[in-house]
Amino acid sequence: MLEIKNLTKSYGDVLALDRFSLDLKKGEVLGLLGPNGAGKTTLISILAGTIRDFTGAVTFEGRNLFADRSMKNRLGIVPQDMAFYEELSAMDNLLFWGGLYDVPRAELKRRAAQLLELVELAARAKEPVKNYSGGMKRRLNTAIGLLHKPDLLLLDEPTVGIDVQAKVSILDIIRGVGAAGTAVIFTTHQLAEVEGTCSRIAIMDHGRILAQGTLDELIRIVGERDIVEITGVFAAAAFSEALGDIAGGGIEPLSVADNLAALAVADTEQIPRVMDRLFRRKLAVTDLKIKSPGLETVFLKLTGRSLRD
Amino acid sequence: MRRLRLVLANDVRRHLKAPLAILIYMAVPLFMTGLIGVIFGPRTEGRELPSIPVLVVDNDKGLASKLLVGAFDADQLKKMFRVTVTDEADGNRRMAGGKASAMVVIPRSFTLDLLEAKPVTLLVVKNPAEQFLPDVVEEFMNTLAVMLSGVVQAFAEEVKGVRAMLDLKVDGFPWEALGPQFGKAQKKVVAASKYLNPLLIRFKTEETKAAGAGASFTRADLFSIILPGMAVMFLLFIVQTLMRDIISEREDGKLRRMMTTPLRPIELIGARIFGGWVMGIAVLLVMVAAGTLVFRVHWGPFGYFLVLGAVASFWTAAFFALLHALVRNRNQAGALSAPIILAFSLFGGSMMNPEAMPKAMLAVGVLTPNRWFIDGAALVREGRFPLASLVVLFASGLVLLALAVPALRRRTSV
Repeated sequence: MLEIKNLTKSYGDVLALDRFSLDLKKGEVLGLLGPNGAGKTTLISILAGTIRDFTGAVTFEGRNLFADRSMKNRLGIVPQDMAFYEELSAMDNLLFWGGLYDVPRAELKRRAAQLLELVELAARAKEPVKNYSGGMKRRLNTAIGLLHKPDLLLLDEPTVGIDVQAKVSILDIIRGVGAAGTAVIFTTHQLAEVEGTCSRIAIMDHGRILAQGTLDELIRIVGERDIVEITGVFAAAAFSEALGDIAGGGIEPLSVADNLAALAVADTEQIPRVMDRLFRRKLAVTDLKIKSPGLETVFLKLTGRSLRD
Repeated sequence: MRRLRLVLANDVRRHLKAPLAILIYMAVPLFMTGLIGVIFGPRTEGRELPSIPVLVVDNDKGLASKLLVGAFDADQLKKMFRVTVTDEADGNRRMAGGKASAMVVIPRSFTLDLLEAKPVTLLVVKNPAEQFLPDVVEEFMNTLAVMLSGVVQAFAEEVKGVRAMLDLKVDGFPWEALGPQFGKAQKKVVAASKYLNPLLIRFKTEETKAAGAGASFTRADLFSIILPGMAVMFLLFIVQTLMRDIISEREDGKLRRMMTTPLRPIELIGARIFGGWVMGIAVLLVMVAAGTLVFRVHWGPFGYFLVLGAVASFWTAAFFALLHALVRNRNQAGALSAPIILAFSLFGGSMMNPEAMPKAMLAVGVLTPNRWFIDGAALVREGRFPLASLVVLFASGLVLLALAVPALRRRTSV
């Protein structure tokens, strides 16, 4: 349905997208994971048509996505910003934003009413949006992107800064939209959100996809190993030197930074060996956590840094 | 066009939902016009001053003091002063109670001292709670003193004779001697009659006639001069507030979202400029209605004024479209707009009458929309078509629009 080939975009010397390629099928929900600056928002902006100076090709059902303005009727965008008019009611906002697409007025009103029910805002549909909570505003922001029944929905961190209840509601909506046949690209840096919502997960950094697949496929990248997270007072170089030759013998450093390191261990009985090495070098350890492998482990393995870095 | 209408309707709906800023900008010029009119305008609709309450304490009760008190009884002065003759104690009590604007105290032996050509002093006690009226009384007494002094000096010889006679008993009064004294005085009066008749010093009310004013100048005339200047100044403020959306929507992500829809940049730009223009006209019409109802402002032929207002509003919308296309953010727009509007208003005559401006200011004023609008409004008030104002505002507005549209197109490339 959507085919992205060798998309490249730079801001001066900074390469935001580096020959980025991706395919997306109808009804597929793709979670695009990456730390800040990975290039997620740039990708969404290019697909939305608001960034035009790039190289590469984007086709939608075989047609250039940017060839003509009518293609915009097939795209739905939920931006990171709360982009609507706070002085107006939710209904007025839906009718205005929906009106910018080629949807007949009567149909638009019907869909607006349906969506207000879906995002649980029907009871306060005529109230000025400025009176809404952050979660209600996020739900409205999402509803505006769905009003014209797009074939491709792009959501740029749609759950930023809201409570758990509102987050669950928005993730439910995304799952429902995917199940109804809309292709969805959904960017976030919340691992838990993509784990339960997306049919496919892509991990990106420095403008490229590092790995993609289902959650199980991605976990297989790090293998069935436990992750040991060590916090203390040490320099990264001193920590690596302390590990010395034991790294490789069933112990793999995933990320080593000053005062924080993550190791993948095939057997937890190897942990005392690691601690012994650190104590001999007089490196202080203040905390030690053992985790089962998950998406975060994969992310650490692929990017060498935590999602929130 | 459908989307342009949709954006336009949405803008109107938004501003009607949160109309406070526009209402304030519409109320302020009306309030300021009212304030200026009340402070500087004529006190009544007619040309007469209000009657001034004056207390007179006559401690002399002689010939001259009676002449002085009688002077207040002259036809013109009767209308101007409301005189109460009283004693000093009552006069002081009334003044303390603020019952009069001033109290004139005529000293004892005023007549005799005057006839002996001795200096005499009239005391004028002014009410400190009043600003202008006590000064009017003081000036009037000054004038009377000058006149009386002049009479005494002109008739010095006759006055001496009359003074001598006043010391005699009535039964010993040389009535026959009065004949020559009056004869001399009569000759002087006849000689001076060409100066005295009419009276040399008279009170006269003069009025300033503004261009287009009728025979009498009323507050309504003053409002008619002030309100167009105020209206154009606040038209600038209102339209710049509306055009601020261009910047704020760019900053808060709404412009980006709009550009992801099938809405074309030119439709959005058209809606913004057209919206600013229409809202400007609407605001002017409200001010015209309020000015007519509240201040009885005379605008001249409505059609002429409507055309002038429409063209001024077009200029304003084009100007602020260009300004908001050139600035980077809301702060810059705010920091630039206010000084520009105030400078336009100062040099263009919204804040002061152009006739009172130095030549340099007048020269700068022709570069402002305020000046052309005010001049045009003055012509319309006289019933004339403001062709020059329309041509200048429309032509320069077109130039501004031609510059604004491509600049805004660049700004919508988010």
